[in-house]
Amino acid sequence: MSDASAPWDPSKPILEISNLSISFFTRLREIPAVMDFSCAVMQGESMGLVGESGCGKSTVALAVMRDLGKNGRIVGGTIKFKGRDLTHMTEEELRVIRGSEIAMIYQEPMASLNPAMKIGAQLAEVPMIHQNMPKAEAWALARQIVADVRLPDPDRIINAYPHQLSGGQQQRIVIAMALMAKPALLILDEPTTALDVTVEAGIVDLVKELGRKYGTSMLFISHNLGLILDTCDRLCVMYSGEAVETGNVIEVFDKMRHPYTQALFRSIPLPGADKNSHPLVSIPGNFPLPHERPPGCNFGPRCDYFQAGRCDAADIAMSTVPEDDRHGSRCLKWTEIDWNAPITKRASKPKTPIGKVVLKMEDLRKYYAVSSGAFGGGAKKVVKANETLSFEAREGETLAIVGESGCGKSTFAKVLMGLETATSGTIMLFDENVKSTPIQQRNTDTVSSVQMVFQNPFDTLNPSMTVGRQIIRALEIFKYGASDAEREARMLELMDLVKLPRAFAERMPRQLSGGQKQRVGIARAFAGGAKVVVADEPVSALDVSVQAAVTDLLMDIQRENKTTLLFISHDLSIVRYLADRVMVMYLGHVVEMGTTDQVFQPPYHPYTEALLSAVPIADTKVIRKRIVLEGDIPSAMNPPPGCPFQTRCRWKSQVPGGLCDREMPPMVTLAGGHQIKCHLSADVLNSMEPVIKIAAE
Amino acid sequence: METLSWFGSYGSTLTTPVSALIAMMVMVALTNGLLSFASGNGQTALLRTGFLSMAFLFISFFILVFLFLKGGAGVNYESVLTTLLRIAAVLVAFGLFAALTSWILRQSLNDAPRLLARMMRLLWRALAAIAVLWLAATLIFNTEAERGILASVVLRFLPVWIALVVTFALSIRYKRKLGLYGKLFDSTVGMLGFALVMFWVFTAVFADIIITHDPISPIGRVKNPLPGTPLVDPAPGQYLYFLLGGDHLARDVFSRMVMGARRVLQIAPAATLFAFMVGITLGLPAGYFGGKFDTALSFIANLVLAFPVILLFYLLVTPEIRDTGIPIYLAAVLFLFPIIFLCVLLNSRYFTNPPRRNLYVGITLLIGLWAYSGLAFNLDPTGFWSMEPNLLNVFVSVVFVNAPTVFRIVRGIVMDLKARDYVAAGQTRGESPWYIMLWEILPNARGPLIVDFCLRIGYTTILLGTLGFFGLGVSPESPDWGSTIDDGRKLLSIFPHPALAPALALMSLVLGLNLLADGLREESLRD
Repeated sequence: MSDASAPWDPSKPILEISNLSISFFTRLREIPAVMDFSCAVMQGESMGLVGESGCGKSTVALAVMRDLGKNGRIVGGTIKFKGRDLTHMTEEELRVIRGSEIAMIYQEPMASLNPAMKIGAQLAEVPMIHQNMPKAEAWALARQIVADVRLPDPDRIINAYPHQLSGGQQQRIVIAMALMAKPALLILDEPTTALDVTVEAGIVDLVKELGRKYGTSMLFISHNLGLILDTCDRLCVMYSGEAVETGNVIEVFDKMRHPYTQALFRSIPLPGADKNSHPLVSIPGNFPLPHERPPGCNFGPRCDYFQAGRCDAADIAMSTVPEDDRHGSRCLKWTEIDWNAPITKRASKPKTPIGKVVLKMEDLRKYYAVSSGAFGGGAKKVVKANETLSFEAREGETLAIVGESGCGKSTFAKVLMGLETATSGTIMLFDENVKSTPIQQRNTDTVSSVQMVFQNPFDTLNPSMTVGRQIIRALEIFKYGASDAEREARMLELMDLVKLPRAFAERMPRQLSGGQKQRVGIARAFAGGAKVVVADEPVSALDVSVQAAVTDLLMDIQRENKTTLLFISHDLSIVRYLADRVMVMYLGHVVEMGTTDQVFQPPYHPYTEALLSAVPIADTKVIRKRIVLEGDIPSAMNPPPGCPFQTRCRWKSQVPGGLCDREMPPMVTLAGGHQIKCHLSADVLNSMEPVIKIAAE
Repeated sequence: METLSWFGSYGSTLTTPVSALIAMMVMVALTNGLLSFASGNGQTALLRTGFLSMAFLFISFFILVFLFLKGGAGVNYESVLTTLLRIAAVLVAFGLFAALTSWILRQSLNDAPRLLARMMRLLWRALAAIAVLWLAATLIFNTEAERGILASVVLRFLPVWIALVVTFALSIRYKRKLGLYGKLFDSTVGMLGFALVMFWVFTAVFADIIITHDPISPIGRVKNPLPGTPLVDPAPGQYLYFLLGGDHLARDVFSRMVMGARRVLQIAPAATLFAFMVGITLGLPAGYFGGKFDTALSFIANLVLAFPVILLFYLLVTPEIRDTGIPIYLAAVLFLFPIIFLCVLLNSRYFTNPPRRNLYVGITLLIGLWAYSGLAFNLDPTGFWSMEPNLLNVFVSVVFVNAPTVFRIVRGIVMDLKARDYVAAGQTRGESPWYIMLWEILPNARGPLIVDFCLRIGYTTILLGTLGFFGLGVSPESPDWGSTIDDGRKLLSIFPHPALAPALALMSLVLGLNLLADGLREESLRD
């Protein structure tokens, strides 16, 4: 380690944050972002920081780097790194520490790399600046670290520019850069959120292994509890600027001692949850705004165990849970609550009957022509976004479409909505072929009966129009009602339907939270009495506690209106929870289709198997088989010959005669209508083991 | 009567304290600069930077002397040299003093920069206090002779000051309810810009009360009277002085400058608005649809932009071209865009409710076509809408030159915004492309467009000035700033005041518009 002068005892914590408070100063007021936060990270330990957006977890990380911007200031407490207080260091002292002893990895890999510098030069810069290493030696080290982060062909990579690498490769380079100076502490701020699940699994494995190899301590920030369980030794749950529970990962997961942690676990879909018999329990109310926090316990207003006069009396300090390993809870009543009591609020709901076929697609194809030449000339390339897509969806049914980015699920949605026209094949919507009818030529009935809920809550509403006005506009377009008053009344009914206060109709979208915006989006989609709703990852951008509420809302509306829901998602946990049937897509092909049980049980398509294994599950009782796919998803511009999945398939050797390299596998129908597009023989398929096992209690 | 002095009765007593204050400010600024040069590098580095900057000053001084000696044939070397040497001596003295102070400060104090900043603020306040005290004391006098030129000018602008104070008081009082406009009052730069702009706007509004003489007719027979010169034999009720002097036709410079504001502020914002209408109407579909339509329009826009602006103006305004009728045709095309824009805007929104749509579009068409016939062809039977041919030329040229830039800005923003989900939501409910462009995309592009609008009024003002300067402006005796500067140019070395007043006015308006745009941009980016 470069800093030999500082006397530091390795048995003491490498990072010790005590009573840290951070505020941001805006022109109106001081906004406290983090209050009274304490935690300690030992040598070689990895600490997880979990919480919903706005809870202050990233602020803590930035405070450790002393990079709070010009509005942010540390207003109290200390951050001790190797026994030295970072809060009182000058800029020069910090510069020595940053990058060499504390390194940080951000969410967006492309934003962390300089697009104008070669990878090797960016990596070599670190030891050249911090250790005055000669250039040749630094490049050699860079090459070695690139090999360490398991990138293929390191010699080519160090001479490449960032844009020549895929997202997963870029993130590996960012990790490599962080490791160049062999830092003692690595801060990872949502390092895999921008990546696909199968790529994420690879990165998580890498981080864990490197942590062991170099003995680096880690501060791992994530909103994903499953990921924290996979990567960390200890965790700290944050809520509204405070740490509410901290302790050993296993202990917190199995014996949580704070009502918020408990509510959080009840609101995420774990194996065993089901939309009808075991619905999720969402946390009531909203996340308090930083300047509107309640007195006493911040979680009080949303807590089932709230006791007026006691919980809201004064600020609550962290109290330790005896017997456990440094386990603490910021709750006054944790000794009084019966933590093993069954959930009382959970009410099972009737199953929606599945009706007649509403939507039927047959052999649908969508190709895009892309010209490669700079001046419109050159060879025309064809991107096959959708290939031979056939399925049907029935009234009241939820069909999940699962796949990673680039699999063609969004193109499929566009074709169905009429924003694009199909290249060939038929789309039968209520016995009417809409395949090649663009949306302008569809009649109002067809348009209003197929609607969409969008992914990004911050993008789904027009920021400069009131919420009510946007819903009324949809009603006007769908020719609902005879007068403005009638439409106004219907708009208010729709607000009730999505459980928003009627007063919100007058608000601008920026005054709403993400979950509330998503509710408005749903109200707008159902304005014309939609029969088929395409939900494009409607909850993936929302916080966990809000996800459950919005999912339930969608399910309730579906039950009431017998809507057919096409639920596009990459999150298999939520798909298992709410889908009746699942369709798995890879590079424009449907590789597997069947009921939810069929798809989540063996036999699997090899891709489904890998996908299932890649999704982290926040349950200590679940044992997952680790299958990490090599490499990245091939480009749709240049798909591999034969089976699209053959480049990453681990079962390829089981197929005789190199059939996978040559021929597109046929869709094989197994028992119960379960379809798999694979060359594997029935014997091999039947010999597959389940990826997820729930250990006996 | 005697010629007016600049500062009135108290002027002479003020000279000493004000010059002392200014000298101190220069010192502080120099010291501060040196300190920031050497920040964080220790004292040796500080001294090195101090000496380096001294050396730099010396070298540039000698280069200057050399150039003077070589260049000027009829120059009196000796006098030039002594003047330069004197300046150099003062500079060196200042510099050495500043280096020394900064060195001492650096050694004795930890936060010297903060101390210096506080000193600077204090000095500014002292200067401002002196100015305010002087003004208050001087304005009480009854006669121009005692008030002096500056105070008299300030007094003439009385309606403007009242209007400004009312505007600011109301705006600051309700700034939290006023959206982006209200946020402007959180930024000093924005407020300063807004004050400058509003000063000239109110001047244009109240021009009739402010002017002291008729801006077009000559007053008396003395040519180029200096600022403060009394009229030779004033008619009863006539203002007794040329406040800012007179020009070579003995017209009052002050009155011409004030009336010029009215001319400039009539044309520049209107022309900019038209340019925006044209640019938006074409830029929206170009960005939204893309493809061949976009390629063709962008090509034409680039073509117009690639042509030298001044040459284009010369071409458009020369009599030969004017006789071919090209400006009229251009006007016929360009003036059509606002009508198209408004009709499409209203139709796309209200087509679900035909009676209301017919009403709104009908009113728009009625007023629009009425104005169109008057402005483009001068055929308005009532004579309410009309534009003199000279003005029309200038107007059309300004719109024609500015529209392509606006087109490109709008096109770029649309290309970015059309990928948003709310646009897709509009498409999936079967909205027409024009509704999506005008009601979903355009309102969300307003931030950059408002900023550019402010900047562009500034450019247009300069452009109008340039046109006037080249004699291409409106009628020859028009008091607009560009023509006035051109008039004054011929005698600039002997009588600078006829050109200086409108030049300063032009500069302050454009500066105000730029500061306003800066403030708006900064504030629209904050929370």
